[in-house]
Amino acid sequence: MSNSYEADKETFMGVPRNKIPWWPTIDYDKCNFCMECDKFCPHKVYEKTDDDVRKLIIKNPYNCVVFCRACAKTCAPDALTFPDKKEISQLIKKLRSE
Amino acid sequence: MKKLTKEIICILPCNGLDKSLGVIAREVSLKVIEKNSDVQLICPVLLNNGDEKYETLIQTAKIIIINGCMTRCPTKLIEERKLKPFKQIMIPDMSKKYKVKPTKDLILNEENIKLAELIANEIITDLNKINQEKENNIREFQEQEFFDITVDKYYFTVPKEGYFFNENDCWIKPEGNTALLGITDYLQNAASDILFVDLPELGDEIEQFDDTGSFESSKTVLQLISPGSGRIIAINKRLEQNPELMNQDPYRKGWFVEIELDNFEEDKELLMNGSEYFDYMKNKIMKEKNHLAKINGERDV
Repeated sequence: MSNSYEADKETFMGVPRNKIPWWPTIDYDKCNFCMECDKFCPHKVYEKTDDDVRKLIIKNPYNCVVFCRACAKTCAPDALTFPDKKEISQLIKKLRSE
Repeated sequence: MKKLTKEIICILPCNGLDKSLGVIAREVSLKVIEKNSDVQLICPVLLNNGDEKYETLIQTAKIIIINGCMTRCPTKLIEERKLKPFKQIMIPDMSKKYKVKPTKDLILNEENIKLAELIANEIITDLNKINQEKENNIREFQEQEFFDITVDKYYFTVPKEGYFFNENDCWIKPEGNTALLGITDYLQNAASDILFVDLPELGDEIEQFDDTGSFESSKTVLQLISPGSGRIIAINKRLEQNPELMNQDPYRKGWFVEIELDNFEEDKELLMNGSEYFDYMKNKIMKEKNHLAKINGERDV
């Protein structure tokens, strides 16, 4: 339930949050714009738009809680994907050692 | 956490070397102890000779009998001592059940090994179920010292020793090569009343930071993001009937799963100890409090 209100100042395991590329990617071929993910996410990662094609976008990627994929569970058409967890944890370890 | 004394489980096979069924029974036993080293093998010949060690052991142990044929020698050995076996298996019955017809070869062949393997797997599955039920019902926890803080109407605790935490507000409590996993007091407070749990499957392999089940409150659905990697060896089935244990006692009775650890030393690199997590949690709580105050137009605290 961590909220990253000031993403540029936030850290995850001592690593600046904006150096960790963890957030959902929307597959617009699958998304039916039910907006369940947006309703679910308490961290304001998503934002609805007036765009006809991309009615939902990833507005605040660094608000996304690293390793959380809970919103994907709300997605019936399975349109949300996340980065490879192992690669991200390796990256965090690398950045921590620098 | 203290586990109660383990129950002893013994396996007593037919040892009839003059029949293939006896050879299969012996093979079943060897496969069981190969897969579960806690099970003790009893030699029927030595037991028949009145071996003192075996005589003492069978008085308290749960005994699994593997009868090769209808002569049921192992069963008779136990009945003579006015004891009751915990489980009895007849190789011919199992042959029918699994539709594998044993050959009469006294040297094990592929078909007979296959039957032995199937029977052994059934026994192992049963033993795992028993262990799981036992773990779920008979866990005892030692008294724990906590760091604590009260913010507004919320009270948050963090165990001082023995637990490690990730920034996803989940804990791991290693003990030897196994560990319990659960959610922190912070996360249960954030979730509020937990109403449903979705536990993972026994035997699942999980990596650090994997989604290891979820739980639902009146407010939201949250995941347990594993602080460690390993194989799930127990799940807290009590939570299905009593999910509120996660709210009431998140660090003990509210445990979620138990895993057999893969490499905790490596996992630890991305975890915090109790003191570090307490500081992290306080910081997070205060940020949220300030954020809410701003939203509500109140002055910063």
